Amino acid sequence: VTVHLSRRYTFSASHRLHSPVLSDAENKSIYGKCNNPYGHGHNYEVEVTVCGTVNAVTGRVVDLAALDRLTEAGILAPFRHRNLNEEVEVFRTEVPTTENLAFEVLRRLQEAWPVAFPAPGPRLEKVRIWETERNICEIGI
Amino acid sequence: MIISKKVEFSASHICRSPQLSDSENERIYGAAANPLGHGHNYTVEVAIEGAPEPVTGMILDLKHLKDILEAKVLNVYDHRLLNREVTPFDRVVPTVENMAIDIWNRLEAHIDATGRARLYSVRVHETNELFVEYRGENT
Repeated sequence: VTVHLSRRYTFSASHRLHSPVLSDAENKSIYGKCNNPYGHGHNYEVEVTVCGTVNAVTGRVVDLAALDRLTEAGILAPFRHRNLNEEVEVFRTEVPTTENLAFEVLRRLQEAWPVAFPAPGPRLEKVRIWETERNICEIGI
Repeated sequence: MIISKKVEFSASHICRSPQLSDSENERIYGAAANPLGHGHNYTVEVAIEGAPEPVTGMILDLKHLKDILEAKVLNVYDHRLLNREVTPFDRVVPTVENMAIDIWNRLEAHIDATGRARLYSVRVHETNELFVEYRGENT
Protein backbone atom coordinates (compact mmCIF):
# COMPACT_ATOMS: atom_id res chain seq x y z
CA VAL A 1 0.00 0.00 0.00
CA THR A 2 1.71 3.18 -1.23
CA VAL A 3 0.92 6.58 0.23
CA HIS A 4 2.33 9.99 -0.64
CA LEU A 5 3.16 12.22 2.33
CA SER A 6 3.96 15.92 2.04
CA ARG A 7 5.51 18.17 4.65
CA ARG A 8 5.88 21.95 4.44
CA TYR A 9 8.71 24.10 5.71
CA THR A 10 9.43 27.80 5.55
CA PHE A 11 12.50 30.02 5.36
CA SER A 12 13.15 33.66 4.52
CA ALA A 13 16.00 34.77 2.28
CA SER A 14 17.06 37.52 -0.11
CA HIS A 15 18.17 37.28 -3.72
CA ARG A 16 18.75 39.22 -6.88
CA LEU A 17 17.90 37.91 -10.33
CA HIS A 18 20.69 38.98 -12.65
CA SER A 19 22.58 36.99 -15.25
CA PRO A 20 26.18 38.01 -16.04
CA VAL A 21 25.78 36.75 -19.63
CA LEU A 22 22.97 39.23 -20.32
CA SER A 23 23.22 42.99 -20.77
CA ASP A 24 21.87 45.34 -18.09
CA ALA A 25 18.94 46.21 -20.37
CA GLU A 26 18.16 42.51 -21.00
CA ASN A 27 18.37 41.71 -17.28
CA LYS A 28 15.96 44.51 -16.52
CA SER A 29 13.56 43.46 -19.22
CA ILE A 30 13.59 39.75 -18.22
CA TYR A 31 13.62 39.97 -14.44
CA GLY A 32 11.89 43.34 -13.90
CA LYS A 33 11.79 44.41 -10.24
CA CYS A 34 13.68 41.24 -9.24
CA ASN A 35 16.74 42.71 -10.97
CA ASN A 36 17.05 45.51 -8.38
CA PRO A 37 20.84 45.70 -7.71
CA TYR A 38 20.31 45.85 -3.97
CA GLY A 39 18.32 42.60 -3.90
CA HIS A 40 15.03 41.83 -2.15
CA GLY A 41 13.59 38.94 -0.14
CA HIS A 42 10.78 36.41 0.18
CA ASN A 43 9.21 34.10 2.71
CA TYR A 44 9.73 30.84 0.86
CA GLU A 45 7.74 27.68 1.50
CA VAL A 46 9.20 24.29 0.64
CA GLU A 47 6.99 21.22 0.35
CA VAL A 48 8.76 17.86 0.30
CA THR A 49 6.76 14.83 -0.91
CA VAL A 50 7.87 11.28 -0.14
CA CYS A 51 6.22 8.01 -1.07
CA GLY A 52 6.42 4.50 0.27
CA THR A 53 4.54 1.81 2.11
CA VAL A 54 2.96 2.31 5.52
CA ASN A 55 4.79 0.42 8.26
CA ALA A 56 2.35 -2.09 9.79
CA VAL A 57 3.44 -1.38 13.36
CA THR A 58 3.97 2.39 13.41
CA GLY A 59 1.38 3.37 10.78
CA ARG A 60 3.97 5.78 9.36
CA VAL A 61 5.43 6.05 5.86
CA VAL A 62 8.41 8.10 7.01
CA ASP A 63 10.09 9.09 10.28
CA LEU A 64 8.96 12.73 10.39
CA ALA A 65 11.64 13.74 12.88
CA ALA A 66 14.32 12.32 10.55
CA LEU A 67 12.79 14.16 7.56
CA ASP A 68 12.73 17.38 9.60
CA ARG A 69 16.39 16.92 10.57
CA LEU A 70 17.43 16.25 6.97
CA THR A 71 15.57 19.32 5.67
CA GLU A 72 16.81 21.53 8.49
CA ALA A 73 20.45 20.54 8.02
CA GLY A 74 20.49 20.49 4.21
CA ILE A 75 18.12 23.31 3.24
CA LEU A 76 16.68 25.47 6.00
CA ALA A 77 19.81 26.17 8.05
CA PRO A 78 22.01 27.07 5.04
CA PHE A 79 19.26 29.19 3.36
CA ARG A 80 17.53 30.84 6.35
CA HIS A 81 18.11 34.62 6.51
CA ARG A 82 20.83 34.43 3.87
CA ASN A 83 21.60 36.40 0.77
CA LEU A 84 21.31 33.47 -1.64
CA ASN A 85 23.54 35.06 -4.34
CA GLU A 86 26.37 35.73 -1.91
CA GLU A 87 26.07 32.98 0.69
CA VAL A 88 24.99 29.83 -1.14
CA GLU A 89 27.80 28.53 -3.35
CA VAL A 90 25.74 27.39 -6.36
CA PHE A 91 24.08 30.82 -6.71
CA ARG A 92 27.41 32.56 -7.16
CA THR A 93 27.18 31.28 -10.74
CA GLU A 94 23.50 30.36 -11.22
CA VAL A 95 20.62 32.84 -11.05
CA PRO A 96 18.55 32.09 -7.90
CA THR A 97 15.18 31.88 -9.67
CA THR A 98 12.51 29.71 -8.05
CA GLU A 99 13.27 27.12 -10.75
CA ASN A 100 16.99 26.95 -9.89
CA LEU A 101 16.18 27.02 -6.19
CA ALA A 102 13.88 24.00 -6.65
CA PHE A 103 16.67 22.14 -8.54
CA GLU A 104 19.14 22.91 -5.74
CA VAL A 105 16.71 21.84 -2.97
CA LEU A 106 16.01 18.56 -4.81
CA ARG A 107 19.73 17.98 -5.44
CA ARG A 108 20.59 18.49 -1.76
CA LEU A 109 17.79 16.20 -0.59
CA GLN A 110 18.76 13.50 -3.11
CA GLU A 111 22.39 13.68 -2.00
CA ALA A 112 21.57 13.17 1.69
CA TRP A 113 18.66 10.76 1.13
CA PRO A 114 20.42 7.34 0.96
CA VAL A 115 22.10 7.89 4.33
CA ALA A 116 18.98 9.17 6.09
CA PHE A 117 16.57 6.70 4.44
CA PRO A 118 18.38 3.61 3.14
CA ALA A 119 16.49 1.27 0.76
CA PRO A 120 13.79 0.02 1.01
CA GLY A 121 12.87 3.14 2.98
CA PRO A 122 10.62 5.96 1.81
CA ARG A 123 11.49 7.50 -1.58
CA LEU A 124 11.82 11.18 -2.36
CA GLU A 125 9.13 12.01 -4.92
CA LYS A 126 8.95 15.76 -5.53
CA VAL A 127 9.64 19.24 -4.23
CA ARG A 128 7.41 22.31 -4.52
CA ILE A 129 8.60 25.82 -3.71
CA TRP A 130 6.41 28.85 -3.15
CA GLU A 131 8.30 32.11 -3.72
CA THR A 132 5.07 34.02 -3.12
CA GLU A 133 1.45 32.88 -2.90
CA ARG A 134 1.29 33.22 -6.69
CA ASN A 135 4.67 31.81 -7.78
CA ILE A 136 5.08 28.09 -7.31
CA CYS A 137 7.62 25.75 -8.87
CA GLU A 138 7.36 21.94 -8.79
CA ILE A 139 10.07 19.44 -9.66
CA GLY A 140 9.81 15.65 -9.52
CA ILE A 141 12.49 12.98 -9.46
CA MET B 1 -11.10 15.09 -15.81
CA ILE B 2 -10.79 15.38 -12.06
CA ILE B 3 -13.11 17.18 -9.68
CA SER B 4 -12.27 17.69 -6.00
CA LYS B 5 -14.30 18.41 -2.92
CA LYS B 6 -13.07 19.46 0.50
CA VAL B 7 -14.67 18.76 3.85
CA GLU B 8 -13.48 19.31 7.40
CA PHE B 9 -13.83 17.50 10.69
CA SER B 10 -12.25 17.74 14.13
CA ALA B 11 -11.11 14.73 16.09
CA SER B 12 -8.66 13.60 18.74
CA HIS B 13 -6.16 10.76 18.60
CA ILE B 14 -3.26 9.11 20.37
CA CYS B 15 -0.30 7.93 18.31
CA ARG B 16 1.09 5.00 20.30
CA SER B 17 1.59 1.40 19.26
CA PRO B 18 1.14 -1.35 21.89
CA GLN B 19 3.86 -3.25 20.02
CA LEU B 20 6.46 -0.57 20.85
CA SER B 21 8.03 0.46 24.15
CA ASP B 22 7.22 3.82 25.77
CA SER B 23 10.56 5.26 24.70
CA GLU B 24 10.15 4.01 21.11
CA ASN B 25 6.65 5.49 20.94
CA GLU B 26 7.94 8.84 22.16
CA ARG B 27 10.86 8.79 19.73
CA ILE B 28 8.68 7.93 16.73
CA TYR B 29 5.58 10.02 17.39
CA GLY B 30 6.99 12.84 19.55
CA ALA B 31 4.30 14.99 21.16
CA ALA B 32 1.61 12.97 19.35
CA ALA B 33 2.38 10.01 21.66
CA ASN B 34 0.76 11.79 24.66
CA PRO B 35 -1.38 8.97 26.20
CA LEU B 36 -4.12 11.47 27.09
CA GLY B 37 -4.58 12.35 23.42
CA HIS B 38 -4.70 15.61 21.45
CA GLY B 39 -6.70 16.84 18.46
CA HIS B 40 -6.66 18.45 15.02
CA ASN B 41 -8.94 20.17 12.57
CA TYR B 42 -8.58 17.80 9.62
CA THR B 43 -9.31 18.70 6.01
CA VAL B 44 -10.19 15.89 3.61
CA GLU B 45 -9.87 16.54 -0.10
CA VAL B 46 -11.52 13.89 -2.26
CA ALA B 47 -10.75 13.80 -6.00
CA ILE B 48 -13.10 12.05 -8.43
CA GLU B 49 -12.04 11.08 -11.95
CA GLY B 50 -14.48 10.74 -14.82
CA ALA B 51 -16.02 12.29 -17.93
CA PRO B 52 -18.88 14.78 -17.75
CA GLU B 53 -22.27 13.26 -18.55
CA PRO B 54 -23.36 14.88 -21.87
CA VAL B 55 -26.77 16.13 -20.71
CA THR B 56 -25.95 17.45 -17.22
CA GLY B 57 -22.33 18.42 -17.91
CA MET B 58 -21.40 16.87 -14.56
CA ILE B 59 -18.98 14.07 -13.67
CA LEU B 60 -21.19 13.17 -10.75
CA ASP B 61 -23.91 14.70 -8.65
CA LEU B 62 -22.06 16.82 -6.08
CA LYS B 63 -25.00 16.64 -3.70
CA HIS B 64 -24.67 12.86 -3.82
CA LEU B 65 -20.93 13.20 -3.11
CA LYS B 66 -21.63 15.52 -0.19
CA ASP B 67 -24.15 13.06 1.26
CA ILE B 68 -21.68 10.16 0.90
CA LEU B 69 -18.90 12.18 2.59
CA GLU B 70 -21.22 13.05 5.43
CA ALA B 71 -22.55 9.55 5.93
CA LYS B 72 -19.32 7.61 5.48
CA VAL B 73 -16.69 9.99 6.88
CA LEU B 74 -17.95 13.02 8.81
CA ASN B 75 -20.62 11.21 10.83
CA VAL B 76 -18.02 8.59 11.74
CA TYR B 77 -14.96 10.80 12.41
CA ASP B 78 -16.22 14.23 13.53
CA HIS B 79 -15.74 15.05 17.24
CA ARG B 80 -14.58 11.54 18.07
CA LEU B 81 -11.59 10.03 19.83
CA LEU B 82 -10.41 7.97 16.87
CA ASN B 83 -8.60 5.29 18.91
CA ARG B 84 -11.75 4.43 20.86
CA GLU B 85 -14.63 5.27 18.59
CA VAL B 86 -13.59 4.53 15.00
CA THR B 87 -12.56 1.15 13.62
CA PRO B 88 -9.88 0.17 12.56
CA PHE B 89 -8.08 2.48 15.01
CA ASP B 90 -8.68 0.06 17.86
CA ARG B 91 -6.10 -2.06 15.98
CA VAL B 92 -3.94 0.32 13.91
CA VAL B 93 -2.37 3.61 14.95
CA PRO B 94 -4.48 6.59 13.73
CA THR B 95 -1.63 8.28 11.87
CA VAL B 96 -2.65 10.53 8.99
CA GLU B 97 -1.34 7.79 6.65
CA ASN B 98 -3.74 5.18 8.07
CA MET B 99 -6.59 7.71 8.12
CA ALA B 100 -6.19 8.41 4.38
CA ILE B 101 -6.30 4.67 3.65
CA ASP B 102 -9.34 4.14 5.88
CA ILE B 103 -11.25 7.06 4.36
CA TRP B 104 -10.50 5.69 0.86
CA ASN B 105 -11.80 2.26 1.92
CA ARG B 106 -14.99 3.77 3.33
CA LEU B 107 -15.70 5.81 0.18
CA GLU B 108 -14.50 3.85 -2.83
CA ALA B 109 -17.51 1.57 -3.37
CA HIS B 110 -20.05 4.38 -2.89
CA ILE B 111 -18.84 7.10 -5.24
CA ASP B 112 -20.91 6.32 -8.31
CA ALA B 113 -23.18 3.39 -8.97
CA THR B 114 -23.31 4.08 -12.73
CA GLY B 115 -19.58 3.53 -13.22
CA ARG B 116 -19.05 6.94 -14.86
CA ALA B 117 -16.89 8.29 -12.03
CA ARG B 118 -14.30 6.71 -9.77
CA LEU B 119 -12.43 7.73 -6.69
CA TYR B 120 -9.01 9.05 -7.81
CA SER B 121 -7.37 10.19 -4.57
CA VAL B 122 -7.95 11.02 -0.95
CA ARG B 123 -5.86 13.74 0.68
CA VAL B 124 -5.96 14.24 4.41
CA HIS B 125 -4.41 17.42 5.84
CA GLU B 126 -3.61 17.06 9.53
CA THR B 127 -2.02 20.53 9.84
CA ASN B 128 -0.94 23.20 7.33
CA GLU B 129 2.47 21.55 7.34
CA LEU B 130 1.47 17.91 6.83
CA PHE B 131 -0.77 16.01 4.44
CA VAL B 132 -0.99 12.54 2.94
CA GLU B 133 -2.38 11.41 -0.39
CA TYR B 134 -3.60 7.88 -1.12
CA ARG B 135 -4.64 6.67 -4.59
CA GLY B 136 -5.67 3.11 -3.82
CA GLU B 137 -3.87 -0.19 -3.56
CA ASN B 138 -2.68 -0.41 -7.15
CA THR B 139 -0.78 2.88 -7.40
